[in-house]
Amino acid sequence: MTRWLWRRVLQAVGTFAIAVVLMFVLMRLAPGDPLSRLQEGRPMSPAEVEHLRRLYRLDQPISAQFAEFVGGVFTGDLGTSIEHGLPVTTLLASRLPATLLLGGAAILLNFTLGLWLGVRQAVRRGSREDRTLTLLSLAGYATPSFWLALVLAWLVGIRLGWLPVAGMRDPLLAPDAPWLARALDMAAHLVLPALTLSIVTIAGTMRYQRNALLEVLRLPYIGTARAKGIPEISVVWRHAWRNAVFPVITLFGLWLPLLVTGSVFVEMVFAWPGLGSLAATAASSRDYPLVMGAALLAAGLVVTASLLTDLAYALLDPRVRYS
Amino acid sequence: MPRTTHLVLAAVLVGGPAVRPPVASAQRDPANIVIVTGQQATTPVPTLIEGSQNTLANQDVADQLFLRLVGIGPGMVTAGDRGFVPLLAQSWMRRDSVTLVFDIDPRARWHDGAPITSRDVVFTMGRARDSTIAPRLANVTRRIASVEAEGDHRVVFRFRQVYAEQLYDASFHTAILPAHLLEGLPATEQAWAPFVARPVGSGPYRWVRRQEGEFIELAANDDFFLGAPAIKRVIVRVAVNADARINLLLAGDADATENIPPPLTNIERVESAGHLKLVTVPSSNLGYLLFNYRDPSHRDRPHRILADREVRRALILALDRQLLVRAVLGPYGEVPYGPVSSQLWIRHGAPKAAPQDLATARRLLAGRGWVDRDHDGVRENRRGERLALNLTVPSSSQQRMQMAAIIQEQLRQVGVRLDVVRLEPAVWTERRSAGNFDIDFSASTQDPSPSGLAFSWTCDGPGNAGRYCDRGADSLLFRAIASPTADRRLWHDFLRRVEEAAPAAFLYSQLYVFSVDRRFPEVTLRPVSAWSSLWRWPAPRS
Repeated sequence: MTRWLWRRVLQAVGTFAIAVVLMFVLMRLAPGDPLSRLQEGRPMSPAEVEHLRRLYRLDQPISAQFAEFVGGVFTGDLGTSIEHGLPVTTLLASRLPATLLLGGAAILLNFTLGLWLGVRQAVRRGSREDRTLTLLSLAGYATPSFWLALVLAWLVGIRLGWLPVAGMRDPLLAPDAPWLARALDMAAHLVLPALTLSIVTIAGTMRYQRNALLEVLRLPYIGTARAKGIPEISVVWRHAWRNAVFPVITLFGLWLPLLVTGSVFVEMVFAWPGLGSLAATAASSRDYPLVMGAALLAAGLVVTASLLTDLAYALLDPRVRYS
Repeated sequence: MPRTTHLVLAAVLVGGPAVRPPVASAQRDPANIVIVTGQQATTPVPTLIEGSQNTLANQDVADQLFLRLVGIGPGMVTAGDRGFVPLLAQSWMRRDSVTLVFDIDPRARWHDGAPITSRDVVFTMGRARDSTIAPRLANVTRRIASVEAEGDHRVVFRFRQVYAEQLYDASFHTAILPAHLLEGLPATEQAWAPFVARPVGSGPYRWVRRQEGEFIELAANDDFFLGAPAIKRVIVRVAVNADARINLLLAGDADATENIPPPLTNIERVESAGHLKLVTVPSSNLGYLLFNYRDPSHRDRPHRILADREVRRALILALDRQLLVRAVLGPYGEVPYGPVSSQLWIRHGAPKAAPQDLATARRLLAGRGWVDRDHDGVRENRRGERLALNLTVPSSSQQRMQMAAIIQEQLRQVGVRLDVVRLEPAVWTERRSAGNFDIDFSASTQDPSPSGLAFSWTCDGPGNAGRYCDRGADSLLFRAIASPTADRRLWHDFLRRVEEAAPAAFLYSQLYVFSVDRRFPEVTLRPVSAWSSLWRWPAPRS
């Protein structure tokens, strides 16, 4: 197990390094540079352009830029964002909590509600409820997140006035307001974006859970449990579900990075100050340092999530043995 | 459906309204204003608004925090010494044709209570004129020879030459910084980081806090020497996405927004909300089709079609620019005469732009040998080359994409084939700078001063991407710039010459449409810095 773990960690580090190199090269190969975007609508004099090239070290050969970037990764200095004029690490650190909060809430909703509904569907297989939930979940899965976000913002935020339509907190709420008031305010701002993200991803969890549980419910030991007179709720949740949850762990590993980095549209529509929208605007403006910082974080998340999934399997499923 | 599901639905419906946060909307305290913008102000500090930080967002916040010596008056006239209003300087006078003297208002104080003196002005202008740290500012203030203090409250500006915009150059490009806080620091932005994080200014509002990626909060400076603002708290909220900005307005979570982006339905949505009003402001935005005089593949050769002035004129006459403006901008735009945005003072009294004239356009093209010989709807010359051109448009501009489709159809009517090439903004700018286009759908943000036209519309202008060159037009422009008075006729001579050469089809000068909550009774928005008069707004209604 220890040897396997070391090998797996080394693989993860290798994957991470390859991803980072690829991203650096692809970003530099893409046409247009940060200075060309700055000149959109406001042309600059050659002296100004030259000054900025020097300032952002764009006058250096690509190999020197790469060496500087790699050096920065080890020293924790990822440079200064061209667009924001702030250190990349400061920017990422300031945006990460918002992303983790949104992604965490969406994952929580996804897996609590998704697992519960998936189990209900499996237990009531073929019923009207099963068919209705399948239909609803597939409709949610097929709905584009940006469209759903706009509809929810309009309906719940503007027409009904129940929830805030955008942002992460009310700027008029004093920073020294009671913590409960601040927590409630943030929770209210979180509902719509988290709901949007969950609705479009929950179908996958439900389907996985439903099918996995149906497989397990067919096994002889479940029949034995029922024959022993164990209550049905116990049969489902204690005996069957514990063995049916492993496929969903794989799904968790897949969703984890996606919910952190893949929420660009949702963050944009709800003006959520997270990493997704930051990275998207950075990419379109060719803000190299910020794009690379965000890419580093995203690659790290993907690799870590994948590693954690493998580990979870190894630890939780007694049938799985690694050597 | 089972009972549990019913219960969940009922809880959502009943509990929904209760979820609304404790602080519901911007309207709780009428003395607050929440302005939602599309861009975050990251460095709202004069002399640091350079390069990537040269954004409207930075300028707008800086204008609340820092004062200039004098401000441009309501007429937006940048020439001469009379069209300005006092700010930090209570008065100014001329010693001779190249010397201006400013007297600083002795009541003026920094937000930390220190008095504002001539030392602050000398320090700021020293930073602004240092090309190693502020190349843009150094370039636009290059005609200032020296700035010296005479006592604590008098500053003397000397200029290298006689020209009409001396006062404008001395006052507009930068507001004044506190020397007592910054003098000891190196000039680099990094060294100023603590000051950038919490700027100390002299303006009507002082800095309170920044929530990264969300908002900036400012509070009224009740000791402001020109009068305490009636609006006590200003929140500048960021929502990059236009839909999010409009949603915030409609939901009452914001009181005002900057220019409402296209399509026109966005304006209609805002207009239909009873609590909001629209305010139009002349903008610095000018849209035009820039013709390339040089061959995109061989820059040393003339363009095979567009080097011909008669062809360029024909293309312009084929366009129904009024229709274009009405269709895309509605009542919020006009067809300019020459490269003149709606905020430039020289537009007053200028001739009208030529209307569409298809017959003349066809005649001009035929006269230059462009005839539809094979009757396929596209003209050819004698060598069989088709009258086909590319129009490059940045994909980020919905407005220009809409117009491009109409232009394509209008040019088709005179036998010109136009292919619209939609490019990602960074690629579009790169191709434009490299001269790699036939016709470029440009949109520029102009300075309030017409002398900025030299940047793009002179032979040696660094922003002259189409390689238009007419030494006669250059001399007319430089004569207008060098004139000691604000003489519109000199400028109009230059504009006429440009229109005759037809280096571009000037399509629209835009009016920006702002939206403000109706509880603010008298709203003044300025063309150059929209919110800079906020402190003069009367108290809002409860």
